[in-house]
Amino acid sequence: MTAPFEYVRVTGEADAALDTATPGTQLLAGGTTLVDLMRLGVMSPARLLDINRLPLARIEETTQGLSIGALVRNSDLAYHPAVQARFPVLSQALLAGASPQLRNMATTGGNLMQRTRCAYFRDVGVPACNKRDPGSGCAAWDGFARQHAILGGGPDCIAVHPSDMCVAMVALDAVVHVRGHYGADAAVTEREIPIGDFHLLPGATPARETAIGPGELITRVTLPATPFAARSAYVKARDRASYAFALASAAVALHLEGGKIRAARVALGGVATKPWRSREAEVALEGQAPSEAVFERAAAAALSSAQPRPDNRFKVPLAKATIVRALTRAREAV
Amino acid sequence: MLPRANEPIRGSIFRVATRRNIAPDVRGADHPLQVGDRAPTLDRLVSTDLDEERGQEQRADAPTVVALFGGDDAPTSEGEREAIRADLRALGAVLIAVSPRWLWVFRPEEERQFLESPSPALREGLPRLFARFGVPLDERRAGLGGLFVVDGDDFVRFAHRVGPGERITLGTAVQAASRAMLLPPDCRTGASRREFLLFSLLTGFAVAVADGCAPAPPLRDAGSIPRAAVDLTLEINGQRRALRVEPRVSLLDALREQLALTGTKKGCDHGQCGACTVLIDGRRVLSCLTLAVTAADAKVTTIEGLGSPEALHPMQAAFVAEDALQCGYCTPGQIMSAVGMVSEGHAKDDGDIRELMSGNICRCGAYPNIVTAIRRAQKEMNGLALPSKGPA
Repeated sequence: MTAPFEYVRVTGEADAALDTATPGTQLLAGGTTLVDLMRLGVMSPARLLDINRLPLARIEETTQGLSIGALVRNSDLAYHPAVQARFPVLSQALLAGASPQLRNMATTGGNLMQRTRCAYFRDVGVPACNKRDPGSGCAAWDGFARQHAILGGGPDCIAVHPSDMCVAMVALDAVVHVRGHYGADAAVTEREIPIGDFHLLPGATPARETAIGPGELITRVTLPATPFAARSAYVKARDRASYAFALASAAVALHLEGGKIRAARVALGGVATKPWRSREAEVALEGQAPSEAVFERAAAAALSSAQPRPDNRFKVPLAKATIVRALTRAREAV
Repeated sequence: MLPRANEPIRGSIFRVATRRNIAPDVRGADHPLQVGDRAPTLDRLVSTDLDEERGQEQRADAPTVVALFGGDDAPTSEGEREAIRADLRALGAVLIAVSPRWLWVFRPEEERQFLESPSPALREGLPRLFARFGVPLDERRAGLGGLFVVDGDDFVRFAHRVGPGERITLGTAVQAASRAMLLPPDCRTGASRREFLLFSLLTGFAVAVADGCAPAPPLRDAGSIPRAAVDLTLEINGQRRALRVEPRVSLLDALREQLALTGTKKGCDHGQCGACTVLIDGRRVLSCLTLAVTAADAKVTTIEGLGSPEALHPMQAAFVAEDALQCGYCTPGQIMSAVGMVSEGHAKDDGDIRELMSGNICRCGAYPNIVTAIRRAQKEMNGLALPSKGPA
């Protein structure tokens, strides 16, 4: 049962959302995570600030790349011609996520702020969850951890970051643009956060999930034009053919030149506590011919530091196979 | 250019209060009053002649609209005064409008008003009054400087300070305040009279502080959490429908429980099954994860609005013709989702249909016939949409 809250809708310019930021306030966009978690009792904000009518739903194509407003719906982004042509991995990742109805609701900014599907986090009957209740422990570490992370976690938290979109954005060197009151005079300014720095590893503070704080607003995400973005692919392995969260996924991008891999991006989903960029895999690819043997070496490098729990050892070979398949698709693409 | 009465004022935020953020004023008297603060009683701020005007039989629960004018222009035209009177009468509030040159007090119960020069005592108290409300007392700045609603318990419930480039007439501001304070029609008497709706001027939606008509606990009881209701209008299946819901009510529950549109089904209530699929502004969405309040002024289409028993929508007819159901519980959601899918235009073959219908779970496993039905209806719908193609 959803606890009562105060509802305020903001209109006008985007900065209107900053003026009313107070402790206990959550921003409401598509609501697909927030309303669900409020109904479960996992989140109970005192106040919802409905930002859906702010003018942040534009996709703009520039010579430098693409600018995606924070309120662009996942479906609109996935089917945008520029995304499909220039950043196919992003379109594929979005269409691999959730369902068409949810994609019509969910926003770019909301997807960045998406919270884990860890069953222990979602069940308020479980007392131990460091994300819900810092210091209470982690029920998943010694619990049933089939869905959980094999990279980036530890005894304090092994909750998987569930997003597909963010994994593709990691492979595309995305930049998150955030507005807030900064500095001594508290004037509203914008700051840019590389996607790799946006999500935080749980460490000893699993409740802190992103680099932004209360009173800040994601306004847009920019994708730079890169030589590898067009040759990119997303592969997702899950328990059913569609409409399920990833057990393992890979977003890859390749810049091929003269029969060699000049530059590569490898990012993993479903296996890590944040959208996971594997520089080890990228190093293993760069300068090499795009052969299956090279892809397998890269996949092995990506999982070399994996620390599975007894229930999710299968994710190590699954993630490797996913990477190899994604690299193969990227090689064949265009 | 003055804003017209119904014109939203762009880029501003009118803060609204619920009991939740009402707190004792701990910031001290130097802090300009904000929504939720306790205002000092007006008589202490200015002079006793205000209290005389406010009423010898002053109702403790009557809200007061306080309008502060920095400059000296006349408050309103005669026509606007009529509108102001109507707004005040509707909400049972006392209006006290003051400037250095005049005082206007309106008490709706007595059908009389005063527009006169302030007494020397009031003029002396004005700087303190303006400072407390955070409005500059600047005689060179003509017009309304700020408008506040103070409830019967002296809490500030509505505050708007007019910004430097902004010009709002008293009529516009009082209309905003009246929207902010509309009394629930069934609660005009009794202990809950002090409970009133707070309305956002900007967006035309209301946030109520009402506990229905039950005796209200003290406003400052931090443990009491209001069941705040919101008035909104939805266009459902082509009909405008007004309803009052708490902000936490899903569109699904509003449809089923308040509007008796039970065709839309509740399966999981967590966005995992698709049974609650409806169209909002033509797009298929999950009504269980949509707060009704966020759909204000949107066009909602449910299964009831798709066709009628006599004239089924092609998708409904195809589900019947292809026997695309067993128990039928998921069927309204399947049909609404399929209609949305066809209009999206991305399904080229059966594989696409299966993928793009994956958000709708059928526990009976009627999937093969569902796909067949959708394929059949898709042809007909596309034929209808593009008549130049000729009959299929």
